[in-house]
Amino acid sequence: MKFRILSGLALLALGGAASATTPAEFQATLGGGFSASRGETFYRNTHGGDCSCATCHTDNPAAGGNHAVTKKAIKPLAPAANAERFTSPEKIEKWFKRNCNDVLKRACTPQEKGDFLAFLLTIK
Amino acid sequence: MKSLLIAALLAASTAPALAGDHRYGPFPAHYVEECASCHVAYPPQLLTAPGWQRVMTQLDRHYGIDASLDAKRRATIADYLQHAASRKDKHAPTEATARMTNTPWFIREHWPTPPAKTPFANCTACHTAADKGDYSESSLKLPAGFRHKERD
Repeated sequence: MKFRILSGLALLALGGAASATTPAEFQATLGGGFSASRGETFYRNTHGGDCSCATCHTDNPAAGGNHAVTKKAIKPLAPAANAERFTSPEKIEKWFKRNCNDVLKRACTPQEKGDFLAFLLTIK
Repeated sequence: MKSLLIAALLAASTAPALAGDHRYGPFPAHYVEECASCHVAYPPQLLTAPGWQRVMTQLDRHYGIDASLDAKRRATIADYLQHAASRKDKHAPTEATARMTNTPWFIREHWPTPPAKTPFANCTACHTAADKGDYSESSLKLPAGFRHKERD
């Protein structure tokens, strides 16, 4: 039985590894020539709407935030402060799709996503 | 050992929520994963199947927020909600967006409304164990100045 559990865990770990990524690996899939300062401007800009990334993720992406409506706690966005961030391609795409629609009323471009990552990766 | 484990799992997954005790959890992992990121996992038992259908067909404009899911996950959760939904009229939606907070039951239970600075979406503000699906009286902490009146 013990062996079965262990082999099950090993399979789970392998399965997880197959779809896992790192923030830098994900960023590389978007292209190159990214700018942390452009990313920071993007992060703090309300893009003509009511809110920015910082509205929920706070001025400091290494800090925890709260959802603007429900007040539910949001874990830190910066990978240095939260190792789970930007490690699942599915989750990354899901949240970019949702949050870009909410803040910019459109999808983000690969350039914007790459700059955004560049900014977050400068935060220690 | 194995049979004990199975018995424990069965008990955990089939333990019926007793009527009136206001305990609705635990909820399936896939539901918590997708529907409890921005708010607590709302109990499926508190909205009817047609209500959940309305919620799940407009996730891209979910009360002012884009909460869209990929088709496969959306279908899995929609199916779960249809099966776990309430069958009582008091939990039926009263408008196009099917807000649970606009059902006759919710309005009656939460009358008079608490201070506006506490949005209804934030259940844990008063129901301190709502993140576990527990809305029992023992975990209820009412805001200052708010008196709960039992009404029929």
